[in-house]
Amino acid sequence: MTVSRDSLVLIHPAVTQQPELLETIEKGSILSETTIVAQYLINKLNDGTISPDDEKYDVIYYVTPEKPEAIQFPPKLIPVLHKTLKPSGRLYGLSDTLKVDALINGFEIVSNNGSEYYWVKESREKKAPVSISLKGNMKNGASAPVALPSFKKLNKTQPIGSSPSAGLAVSLKKLPTFKKLTKKVSAIKLTDSDLEDDDDDLESDDSANNSKTKFFDDFDDPETGDSIDEDDLIAETEEDTITMIQCGKSKQRRRKACKDCSCGLKEMEEQEIESRRAKQQQVIKFSEEELTEIDFTIEGKKVGGCGSCALGDAFRCSGCPYLGLPAFKPGQSINLNSISDDL
Amino acid sequence: MQNKKIVILYGSETGNAQDFAHILSHKLKRLHFSHTLIKIGDYHPKSVLQCKYLFIICSTTGQGELPRNARENCNGRAQGTLWQFLKKSTLPADLLDHVNVAMLGLGDSSYPRFNFGIRKLHERIVNQLGASEIFPRLEADELGLAGSNKDTGNGVESVYYEFEKRIIAYMLEKYPNRKHDGKMMPRVGLAEDVYLKPSNILEISTVNGSTNDQLPDSKIQFVGDETIRHGTVKKNNQITAKDHFQDVRQFVFETEDHEAYHPGDTVSLYPENSDNDVELFLEAQPHWKKVADELLTITDLENCDRFRDGGVVKPLTLRTLLKYHFDIVSIPRQSFFMKTWTFANAHEDRPTDQELLEQQRDKLRQFGYGQDLQDLYDYCNRPRRSVLEVIQDFEFLKLPWEFALDYLPMIKPRFYSISSAPSDPNVELTIAIVRYKTLLRKVRKGLCTNYLLTLTENDTVRYKLQNNHLLHEDIIGKPIIMTSPGVGLAPMKCLIESNLFKDQYLFFGNRMKDKDFLYEDTLSMWKKEGKINLFTCFSRDPINSPHAKYVQDQLWNQSSLIADLILKKSAIVYICGSSGKMPVQVRLTIVEILKKHGNFENAEEAEHYLKEMERTDRYMQETW
Repeated sequence: MTVSRDSLVLIHPAVTQQPELLETIEKGSILSETTIVAQYLINKLNDGTISPDDEKYDVIYYVTPEKPEAIQFPPKLIPVLHKTLKPSGRLYGLSDTLKVDALINGFEIVSNNGSEYYWVKESREKKAPVSISLKGNMKNGASAPVALPSFKKLNKTQPIGSSPSAGLAVSLKKLPTFKKLTKKVSAIKLTDSDLEDDDDDLESDDSANNSKTKFFDDFDDPETGDSIDEDDLIAETEEDTITMIQCGKSKQRRRKACKDCSCGLKEMEEQEIESRRAKQQQVIKFSEEELTEIDFTIEGKKVGGCGSCALGDAFRCSGCPYLGLPAFKPGQSINLNSISDDL
Repeated sequence: MQNKKIVILYGSETGNAQDFAHILSHKLKRLHFSHTLIKIGDYHPKSVLQCKYLFIICSTTGQGELPRNARENCNGRAQGTLWQFLKKSTLPADLLDHVNVAMLGLGDSSYPRFNFGIRKLHERIVNQLGASEIFPRLEADELGLAGSNKDTGNGVESVYYEFEKRIIAYMLEKYPNRKHDGKMMPRVGLAEDVYLKPSNILEISTVNGSTNDQLPDSKIQFVGDETIRHGTVKKNNQITAKDHFQDVRQFVFETEDHEAYHPGDTVSLYPENSDNDVELFLEAQPHWKKVADELLTITDLENCDRFRDGGVVKPLTLRTLLKYHFDIVSIPRQSFFMKTWTFANAHEDRPTDQELLEQQRDKLRQFGYGQDLQDLYDYCNRPRRSVLEVIQDFEFLKLPWEFALDYLPMIKPRFYSISSAPSDPNVELTIAIVRYKTLLRKVRKGLCTNYLLTLTENDTVRYKLQNNHLLHEDIIGKPIIMTSPGVGLAPMKCLIESNLFKDQYLFFGNRMKDKDFLYEDTLSMWKKEGKINLFTCFSRDPINSPHAKYVQDQLWNQSSLIADLILKKSAIVYICGSSGKMPVQVRLTIVEILKKHGNFENAEEAEHYLKEMERTDRYMQETW
């Protein structure tokens, strides 16, 4: 094999505590046959600091101290890794806990009686761009792994270059349509009634959910698992970024008084109500003359100096003596007894 | 079917968070964003798997907890709720990494645990379980009219509008287009005067008369909530002097199943409107009156969460809805105007003053969409004007009854502390009748207390009992200092009778000894028996209370005793009563007492000691 094979090593943050693990793997049979082109912490990929080129690597190795059955891996990165692998490229280090995510993202899982385990980027075109065939039916696709290819068991590890499927992939790679097809439908649109159909960046999320479902299923049994103490969620010394705006007396417009007002606004409001009441007491003693003056019984007449008194409090001026009385309807005489009462 | 990817969750105690959530929902709907709107407590945990955009509005209650409808589902159970699920310690740190979240907290900084509700949600959902924040959470403070995150404005409402603005900008950027009839088109909001048809519509029942149990005059029942109980009224006495301005009631009813309860537990009662108010409403909307007694059905009732707490009335008519469900004497919220202004229209049956119509229509619209809210506040909140009175003022507002469930507020149950001895089948409540004057000529009456006044022996009340687990095991058996002016006394009475504490010190205060010394006989007897140490004060009664006006004065008079109890005997401090100055003054007094007698190195140490008491629930405050 004269062709040099490029590899990418991705590292779980905890590996920094166990450098020997990384060393062992780098010296192991898989990576030693490749040129390690790059090595990143998985976080860098996850937060988007690094975005690897398309179809760059033959091998990706994810180094983690986690047990295979307990691997926690962001499923949204699986399509990213798929993209950066060459056709028939291999991904080592993940496990069957992410089986569904692997399959829907176009990997084949190769398992050789436990001695050999990796994912292969499928070279056959139709598997890869899930987004297209699933457009408008994303949910079915994500939740119906039965329709997806089953495992392929290899008895022997075949060198990548010589595998027949790899050969096919190479030829496919030359097809101009290939890249276009692997691309997702980029226009993210939302329909009126149904967000799901067109929102294709939701796909990876739904596949992510498959691996999360178990946490919800466990929950149905009230006995399982401890709960955190709510009080621990509040840090004693939390330096909050929340900036409070002080009470509104200084603002141009008068604001309502605070509940525990100490600036005097509340007293002002109370006084105002008092004085209003006093005014109302005077109003209530309309003389005949005054009543004619403000005769609301005349059809269409909106009385008062401002023309708004009859319309109700929503329209009355702030000093209007009729504040607190209902709107006066044309054609109705005012019966003050019906509109006021005592405690 | 509602979209599950965009979800608005709210946890609301008094209704503010709920109203803001409904406004946000309304705005998103008008932009053709299909979404789910639900109380946190009713949201199925597993649904979060499908959620991509999560908007949470939540207040805080009690000792820094999430509101009841966030902690519990509509049946009053915490089991199986989202919050209980999220608190599981085994969840992975990326559980919610598919969720984009925006949060708004509504709080009141007079409580030491200000906005703890949203902060807890934030810490867990964002920091611990990996959801991405669309923008840093916002917090509003009802007390100080304060806003959050500087320069976002002034007042709870402006903080909300900032929240809304950011969410809408974000969503529009993500989804600038929408599909309509198979074609993509720019996402443009509905014109303001287009009313969005709600999903729950009232229709006149077509199967008239075929079912006897639905006859309008048949007995009133409520269906759909199995957890509601029926109590039998035993006592309803005024316990203040007859000539006293404040009517405080001893209200006793026998529970249906003789349920167990403990100190700090509450009862919720389901009030009704008076027949008079129902009639006034019908008169203001004559087209309702014509069909007021027709039997109705509700479309899509199974997806309507409005009746989940308490059930829906049967027979169902506009009249029974008005009497038992629509809170027409509540103060209308902004969403009411937002949804109804477009119904201010010309009346066919009489000549229209076009100018007047325009004036009313504009004003209603301004109330509904204005972001300043000062005018709305001055018109409605400050004078405590009711929905009914607004409708009476705006004669052109012709509300379509078919959509009433969309825009009329619903009656919510009212919560009262229990004052009878633990698990006594005769539950005793101590209730101050709410009556006061504002600018308005008509006296303001509390819906529930006004309803209670009408009840007499052997009447039935609908209720639910809540076990609040106020007392932890490790505080039981210690001395307790109870500070409870006015009807704050209610839960203390139950607590004293529980005999859970070693030495019980009660600080009670009111206005006048001869007028409103609540339960004077009982308290005096307990004092005589040595069951309690009683300290009273009367703020308007210098003859009977020469040395103290307020409870905090009395605490100060007893400062060496208080300091000894707290510092040497690990006493519990429990404060209950109306919010405002009292709890603040009491707290200040206790700090001063600690400073004076506590041998602390400096003032901060004493303050820190009290904070530690709060943190460990040795200092509890229940105010309203």
